Amino acid sequence: MTLLTVLGMLVFLCTSVWLAVALDTACRGWISGQGADRADGPLRTAALWLTQQRLTTEAPDRMNALLSIAGYMALALTGLALVPLGPDTALIALPTSVVLWGACEALVVVVVFLHGWSPNAPLAMIGAYRYVAIGLPIMLLSMFVLIAAALPAQSLDLRDIVTSQADVWNLIRQPLGLPLFLLLGLSLTLRGPFDYADSADLAGGTSVEASGPDRLGWQIARLAMLTEFSAMAATVFLGGYLGPVLPGPLWIALKTLLVMTLVIGLSHLAARMPVSRMMSLIWMILLPLSFADLIWAGLVAL
Amino acid sequence: METILTLAGIFALTLVFVVGLRAAGWSDFAGPSTAPQQRPVLGGGDPQTHAWQRFHARYYTMTLLFVAFEMEMMFMYPWAVIYVAEGGKALAEMGMFLAILSVGILYGWREGIFKWE
Repeated sequence: MTLLTVLGMLVFLCTSVWLAVALDTACRGWISGQGADRADGPLRTAALWLTQQRLTTEAPDRMNALLSIAGYMALALTGLALVPLGPDTALIALPTSVVLWGACEALVVVVVFLHGWSPNAPLAMIGAYRYVAIGLPIMLLSMFVLIAAALPAQSLDLRDIVTSQADVWNLIRQPLGLPLFLLLGLSLTLRGPFDYADSADLAGGTSVEASGPDRLGWQIARLAMLTEFSAMAATVFLGGYLGPVLPGPLWIALKTLLVMTLVIGLSHLAARMPVSRMMSLIWMILLPLSFADLIWAGLVAL
Repeated sequence: METILTLAGIFALTLVFVVGLRAAGWSDFAGPSTAPQQRPVLGGGDPQTHAWQRFHARYYTMTLLFVAFEMEMMFMYPWAVIYVAEGGKALAEMGMFLAILSVGILYGWREGIFKWE
């Protein structure tokens, strides 16, 4: 049974990574007016990267280069394993799963920094430093909204958080929660307005020197993280596996894809700000909003 | 125990992923990269310094404020579990706590720690 669950989740992960690439390409084609890519576009790009020559800088930190990809992937997989698939079903069934997820989320800053550190190149290093400035404070928002979601459940267990949404989803009960949480998703997956690590203004930032299979690995890890984040957002705010007629795992898969589409859309449609302006926005406006979310959730839960 | 096993499985899976990337052999038949290929991307310029030199982290003071808030999480995890049982008292406690931390944000803002300078 467990093995079947693992296999099912891996198949879903691969499918959603594929879908994410397809959606990204479609968005880019739509915005630039160049039209859609072929359906096998993602596979062709992957094959290209796999066969490309692996270029490195003169004195890279090889161990940390691999460690950052492995770490990013491991954090994504750990988060995915925490997602409840039924009242008692979760690959990692912890009574404190929110705490473990919070730890995974915090470590993303470390692996992204390592990825920028390892090539020993100025632009990658700048991307890494700059990411930390935004990656840290945006985490605070997400923890406030997660704690707010834990209040009505009276538990730090994601399974209880889903059960507590049987009557009404947290999306409706705590309307500020999901929008603030989505910002964290953009930051965790280095996307759009929160892409301070891998953005085009640094010619690719932490990934500027990555080529061949290493580039492929980092991009896959990013999309795995996107899937994991979407599943978590669907669990905490959209009632997770709850839903009529269809079986639970199918509901969580559908909701995950819905959130993923939202994040991808946001990452293409919202503009990026200078780092210091974003830092002020987070601390002066978004963080007080997350306080408001917590107090709101507290008043509703009483 | 099951949690440990699952985590071990995840690490094993990740290891397979990375070893696979490392062993993706076709790319390495192209031969070792040459000296010009090893130059970092700098728009045609030459690097004047090592990239791992000392970097001016201009958000350093912001990270100190961050630590204050991150410590707060230690308080919030147990607080969230007993909140409904404790009721208004717990709400008042958290409200006071957040109010004090917010003074920290205001102070930091007045001192200009969110500026990139």
